[in-house]
Amino acid sequence: MEIPMIVIELEWRFLTIAPCDAAEPWQLGSQDAATPIMQGIIDLHHDIFFFLILILVFVSRMLVRALWHFHEKTNPIPLRIVHGTTIEIIRTIFPSIIPMFIAIPSFALLYSMDEVVVDPAITIKAIGHQWYRFGGRRASTQPYEYSDYNSSDEQSLTFDSYTIPEDDPELGQSRLLEVDNRVVVPAKTHLRMIVTPADVLHSWAVPSSGVKCDAVPGRSNQTSILVQREGVYYGQCSEIRGTNHAFTPIVVEAVPLKDYGSQVSNQLILQTN
Amino acid sequence: MAEIELKTAPADFRFPTTNQTRHCFTRYIEFHKCVNAKGDDSGECEKFAKYYRSLCPGEWIEKWNEQRENGNFPGPL
Amino acid sequence: MIESQRHSYHLVDPSPWPISGSLGALATTVGGVMYMHSFQGGATLLSLGLIFILYTMFVWWRDVLRESTLEGHHTKAVQLGPRYGSILFIVSEVMFLFAFFWASSHSSLAPTVEIGGIWPPKGIGVLDPWEIPFLNTPILPSSGAAVTWAHHAILAGKEKRAVYALVATVSLALVSTGFQGMEYYQAPSTISDSIYGSTFFLATGFHGFHVIIGTLFLIICGIRQYLGHLTKEHHVGFEAAAWYWHFVDVVRLFPFVSIYWWGGI
Repeated sequence: MEIPMIVIELEWRFLTIAPCDAAEPWQLGSQDAATPIMQGIIDLHHDIFFFLILILVFVSRMLVRALWHFHEKTNPIPLRIVHGTTIEIIRTIFPSIIPMFIAIPSFALLYSMDEVVVDPAITIKAIGHQWYRFGGRRASTQPYEYSDYNSSDEQSLTFDSYTIPEDDPELGQSRLLEVDNRVVVPAKTHLRMIVTPADVLHSWAVPSSGVKCDAVPGRSNQTSILVQREGVYYGQCSEIRGTNHAFTPIVVEAVPLKDYGSQVSNQLILQTN
Repeated sequence: MAEIELKTAPADFRFPTTNQTRHCFTRYIEFHKCVNAKGDDSGECEKFAKYYRSLCPGEWIEKWNEQRENGNFPGPL
Repeated sequence: MIESQRHSYHLVDPSPWPISGSLGALATTVGGVMYMHSFQGGATLLSLGLIFILYTMFVWWRDVLRESTLEGHHTKAVQLGPRYGSILFIVSEVMFLFAFFWASSHSSLAPTVEIGGIWPPKGIGVLDPWEIPFLNTPILPSSGAAVTWAHHAILAGKEKRAVYALVATVSLALVSTGFQGMEYYQAPSTISDSIYGSTFFLATGFHGFHVIIGTLFLIICGIRQYLGHLTKEHHVGFEAAAWYWHFVDVVRLFPFVSIYWWGGI
């Protein structure tokens, strides 16, 4: 017997245990948090939703009551009331207090995103490129630079990160979301991302880490990330910028610290030889 | 290969905002001022070089090095 | 005033000048584009358009003066219109110049790394604020004082003295423009020398341009005073010129303090 689509969908929606680190079909909420900031964003969303539901219920009740009681059949002779001081004060004060209650956690989260609490252990530079000639085919890329281990201006651990083309993804790879070289970062370590483009505006975004950082020509923006669980996180260039915008995925792979160390030193040996 | 050291440019209270353009530029200037004052092999300046290499996009460093060679670097050296 | 009219407003007669001004503007824009793209006849069309606009301005304002002086259409109620218009125009001019000072402050308070993070940028020759700029700064306010003298003379009905005062006002204005021209001629940098040159010449140049407009306005008022157009009770044109002139002379202090003096340190 064929299992109905809806059952598969429901099962997928409510019974899967693997965290959601990439966009998926029929996704309604946020992707699962990998950083404290993303957890904060999800919590703030829920906080605001509390007020939202309260207001929705209250306003709906007022609307329905008004339509019911002031219908011309139930209430044929209209009263000549033009104002009521008490209700006017209440309906002015309450809508000003509610946004304040929303503003407090919102600002706390906003400023915690700006904060660089501890000295980062690693700096990774993401440099947005729109056009790139690569193996005879035009593609977009986010080259990454790991320059903490350089001993001169020329030598640098740099690699390009191209999208896997539409026609040759391997089984299990998401279409236009997988790259040839992932950014490897250590988990449970404070990272500093430096984001800048080489040409036009870009935006480096990874939903699970709660980061969306604009890349502005001539300027370098900083954002900090603390990935708390190992995994592979998917994002996309999030500044509509014209040609090849859709072909610039971002993939972050968080590995244990010791694996990161050996990976980087292997790369350094490869590049120096 | 020996275990690599996890160390990068520290957070700098002079540049507390998201925009780190001037942070990178200042570290570049500080390195070259240090070299001018103390000489190439004093060893004290190397930390500034590490900082600016961590913070600056490679293209920017290339451009500034070229400008310094041509004598049209705009910064206060 | 026409006897049968029962209100104090001026219903204007049909006039050819709106359409002639529009045609002049059309010829100017089309000619300007053609000239900039090196089309044949572009320069001719552009000059024709400009001449047409200047001609329209002359004859239109001549007609307005005739409606005021000969036909007496400009009642107190009619005079309110140009008053409000002048005030709003000056307010818009304040905003216009504010934008240039904003640009200058934006570029100089936190200079970008492209110019090395320093102001003025390396290699830019800066004018000494205590030479011509400082000499030039009190001249415009003095001219503003002279225009107040002219205003009092008009209000007191001393027509000849008002002409003298306006001659003094215009002379001071011309001296100021002359110094500004000399300063530009001797300036060590140009408008294409980095963001410093761009903001410096945009702000000071537009101020100088406004001084020239105000001077022309005052010259016209002087001629009209000489011809006896302006009376004790009715001199809206002069008032508008005086307001404009005070705006221009007060604004001069801002480029001196923020661009010449502070920006040159």
